[in-house]
Amino acid sequence: MLIKVPVSWLREYVEIPISIDELALKLHMSSTEVKGVERPWWGEKVRVGRIAKLAKHPNADKLLLATVDYGEGRTKTVVTGATNLVEGAIVPYADEGAEIIDGHTGERTILRGKPMRGIQSEGMVLSSKELGLGEDHEGIRILDRDLPVGAVLREVLGETILALEVQPNRPDCLGVVGIGREVSALLGTRLMEPALDRLPERAPKGLDVRIDDEVACPRFAAALLTGVHIGPSPTWMQERLIAAGMRPIDNVVDITNYVMLELGQPLHAYDHRQLRDGVLVARAARRGETIRTLDGIDRVLPERTLVIADGQRALGIAGILGGEDSEIRADTTTVALECASFEPRRIGRTTADLNLHGSSGSAAARRFAWELSPEAVPLALARACRLLREHAGAQLEGVVDRYPQPRPRVNVRMHFSDMPRVLGIEVAPEETLDILRRLQFTVAADGDTLIATPPAVRTDIAIAEDIVEEVGRIAGYDRLPTRVPDGPLPLAERHPFEDFRERARDALVGFGLQEIVAYSLIDPAWLGMLKADDGDCIAPEPLRVINPTTVAQSAARSTLRASLLDTARRNLRQRTSLAIFEIAPVYIPRRGDLPDERTTIAILLAGDASPVKEGETWLVGNRKWDVRDIHGIVQGLADLLRVATRGEEAPAPGMHPGRSLALTDGGITHLIWGQLDPRVAGMWELPDETFIAEIDLVSWHRAAQTVKIAPPPRYPAARRDLAVVVSETTRYADVEAAIRSAAGRELESLGLLDVYRGAQIGEGRKSFAVRLVLRSPTTTLADADVDRVVRRIAGRLQHEVSATIR
Amino acid sequence: MAGQDLKALADRAATEIAAAADEAALEASRVRYLGRKEGALSEATKKLASLPPPERPAYGAAVNDAKIRIEKALEAREAALRDAALARELGQEREDLSLPPRRVRLGRLHPISQTMREVSRIFATLGFETVEGPEIEWDYYNFEALNIPPGHPAREKWQTLWISNPLGDDPSRPILGRTHTSPMQVRIMEERRPPIRVVIPGRCYRYEATDAIRESIFFQYEGLAIDEKLTMADLKGTLYAFARQVFGSDRKIRFRVDYFPFTEPSAEIAFDCFACEGKDPNCHVCGGDGWIEAAGCGMVHPDVLRRVGYDPTRYQGFAFGGGIERIAMLKTGAPDIRLFYQNDIRYLEQF
Ligand SMILES: [Zn+2]
Repeated sequence: MLIKVPVSWLREYVEIPISIDELALKLHMSSTEVKGVERPWWGEKVRVGRIAKLAKHPNADKLLLATVDYGEGRTKTVVTGATNLVEGAIVPYADEGAEIIDGHTGERTILRGKPMRGIQSEGMVLSSKELGLGEDHEGIRILDRDLPVGAVLREVLGETILALEVQPNRPDCLGVVGIGREVSALLGTRLMEPALDRLPERAPKGLDVRIDDEVACPRFAAALLTGVHIGPSPTWMQERLIAAGMRPIDNVVDITNYVMLELGQPLHAYDHRQLRDGVLVARAARRGETIRTLDGIDRVLPERTLVIADGQRALGIAGILGGEDSEIRADTTTVALECASFEPRRIGRTTADLNLHGSSGSAAARRFAWELSPEAVPLALARACRLLREHAGAQLEGVVDRYPQPRPRVNVRMHFSDMPRVLGIEVAPEETLDILRRLQFTVAADGDTLIATPPAVRTDIAIAEDIVEEVGRIAGYDRLPTRVPDGPLPLAERHPFEDFRERARDALVGFGLQEIVAYSLIDPAWLGMLKADDGDCIAPEPLRVINPTTVAQSAARSTLRASLLDTARRNLRQRTSLAIFEIAPVYIPRRGDLPDERTTIAILLAGDASPVKEGETWLVGNRKWDVRDIHGIVQGLADLLRVATRGEEAPAPGMHPGRSLALTDGGITHLIWGQLDPRVAGMWELPDETFIAEIDLVSWHRAAQTVKIAPPPRYPAARRDLAVVVSETTRYADVEAAIRSAAGRELESLGLLDVYRGAQIGEGRKSFAVRLVLRSPTTTLADADVDRVVRRIAGRLQHEVSATIR
Repeated sequence: MAGQDLKALADRAATEIAAAADEAALEASRVRYLGRKEGALSEATKKLASLPPPERPAYGAAVNDAKIRIEKALEAREAALRDAALARELGQEREDLSLPPRRVRLGRLHPISQTMREVSRIFATLGFETVEGPEIEWDYYNFEALNIPPGHPAREKWQTLWISNPLGDDPSRPILGRTHTSPMQVRIMEERRPPIRVVIPGRCYRYEATDAIRESIFFQYEGLAIDEKLTMADLKGTLYAFARQVFGSDRKIRFRVDYFPFTEPSAEIAFDCFACEGKDPNCHVCGGDGWIEAAGCGMVHPDVLRRVGYDPTRYQGFAFGGGIERIAMLKTGAPDIRLFYQNDIRYLEQF
């Protein structure tokens, strides 16, 4: 939680003998992240000055000549009309060139030396208005006489504000006093806690409190104050509230806020007139109970909500939001002041239920969501009572404090040797004890044993490691050496699938494809744009994000295709050639389990095939990608990964029906390749001729074969070319299968040379020119052997695909 | 002709042959000395028969010597002339090499892939095995097992994208997009016994508005080392070694206090700025601070160890986590995290 700590306020509780920049660095390194140091805008030329001498202006009755000492023996003479100056007064001094506020226009301006009635004024002593600290422009602002002469004014006056990001384990740092405690430990200076009124033992007449749910509300105290005069709070208090980011309202509300900012503990003030039966009850909301909260909204309270009620109705949502009925009004004279402790997770859940989460929640609710110490309750109440007495005329009638099960104090029993065990460096026992005492821990040592009791406000300390951290951070982590772990190296496991995937990635890059990494969450509407008809989606119904940041990222993609097409669409607006791929998991829902995250490859080719720079056709012609290219990439990848792509051919949804192929094996489609359905391509503003492939890499990994390494063949190969004439409807795959089955083991390879159609072979027929490479591992094949194989092939082709061999 | 005369003849022939300007001159020399009819050596050979027998062997040898010398000279000159002719010919085959090449198509790994490999490679040199795990995760692993039960205020640090399963949700076991790679700490420890040294790169999700340095879908790397005597100094040294390999060997490292519910003590590490080394108050890399915050880390909390069945009095170790994109951006000067995921080829092909 970001809090703003005005340095002047912090100085009230702890001495800071170092510069604010040094302090900020120490806090940042050892205590609380410093998000920024917000300073007054005065530059280095506005300093603390001392009036060394006052003299009359020789030419003007109403003007004075003031000699200002601003450190290191430097003096300047300025002309002023102010009447409140005396010799020795400490004042803000602006040298020529300083930025100040023009007392007349109210605008910022650069101070220029100028003659006044014949005497050069070499600078200026400043009013509050000229510093931007108030409206007072009558006299010079007289500063605290202890301020060091010559100091840059912004270092010692005005609200230099530390913006601190307090971590949720440190609710004790949500108040200025808590930060003071840290500073005191870091600098070794004394912590001066704020003045409290001693709370009376007696219970007030006309006010009682009751806890119905001790888990949700472990401690509940209230004070009854009479004779309250509602009015504005003192200026200094208002200034501090503003500096810390809160708006002043009236003295009672301001004091509750002030104490919250000071001690971290929120309070809530009720107009006692509105309390029925003179009682405050912490209880669960009743079914259907409603309340109008301070923000003017009528809310139906969820049943488990903890409310603060009087004898009859809910007054507010405990720790989160007060009710309108019982708020402090201008004519309030008797105040019931609540100071309580709530179970943080209940607060967290309720703010979530009421949608008051995050920075929109009230300052009190955000603090109560952390584990504040119940021990802070009487402190905050006593502090508020004192301030109400001082600034609202309040008379304390009595206090009631219910704390049915006081928390036992934490005592951490540990060893001094835990420091080197965890930190890796020795910290002397004396230093350990000193650091802990500076942090207000109570410590006792006996030999190596150490018993440490944290101050009551610290709720984050439970185990030895917590104490080690306290000592380590204050001692400073820069003392740790940089060591590399020794000891036996763990035996690393093998990751064959990941290795396989990375080989695929390298292969595709080697083929000249650019890898993309797209968002894994997509617009669910995209899934509807992957098919031309209204049939089922090409991919399973995806997991949905319940609270998406945008609808464009609200479904966990169950296919990579949509991301691929989207990427292609955007790229093809400014280029004519595209060859891309992505390797990423798709998320396939499983009942009662996390989804199956299946690593998938998606490839897309569109536009010019030439491997050229955009627009260049030099030496390569201007060829477009075609279906054989995508087939080639798939086949090349399969060959490189040694995957035998087998399976049943099935229609590929979303693809061109005549120019695509899906292979399924065991019910899983492990490969799709071909041309995208042009109607789908159109929906994505892609060219009709867009080619994609999708590979289920998990299946491919299973189908990958281990290689058996053999020496190169010893006997020569025989080559024979055949022209196989078949009907136009016969597929090459059937021809190939027939040849392979007939040729037997001696067929080393089979290549397609050409497909010929023409008058020579007749209408409705085509001729596959194929080349057979035959080789025997044991002998040189004679022509007669080859002829025998070819005859066998010819017979088989004739029989199975009615082919004639030419 | 006496033996001396033959040697002189061979000398003269060799000089003449070496000076032959072309094939024709060379052929003329060949005929002059070795020609069957009128060649000088043929004349000398004819003379052999007229010599008295005792002089014949010596004279014959001298003739032979001369012949061999002349033949070698002819061969050498012939080769030299051939070479010169070829060289002249090649000199004519002049190409304009400033014309563009016949290009090959280039593909590149995405910068995220490149960086993840780099991280894995470096940690491998430190003995860390790369492991991966699910992106869609149980609340249990992402939060509860890491000391962040429901309602814990630290959950605000990890704003969550909650996930619904179309095949049915179980309200008692919520699922989410993992908000960090840290759930893998627990999964690894559940599966293995110490010693452990693993690094886990992977995709994470946050419910967060995006800007130039923040994405709601992003990549992290997580490290985990568990053994009997690992300390915070080992953690510091490990990350120091990593930083030096990524950003250069003269890097400095800084630890500051931080808070993570699953580590105690916790720290944040920063490296001194490799771009300005803390000298440029307007540095675009470090923002003038001189330090680059790089990762959160700490000693694994004893409660986390206990929950996976490890004895925290025997085993302890450290964990760390940082952003992949941040490394890529710092190393390459990439200006905006979102550009990685727009996949504009004109951008990607620069990496
Ligand atoms: Zn820098």
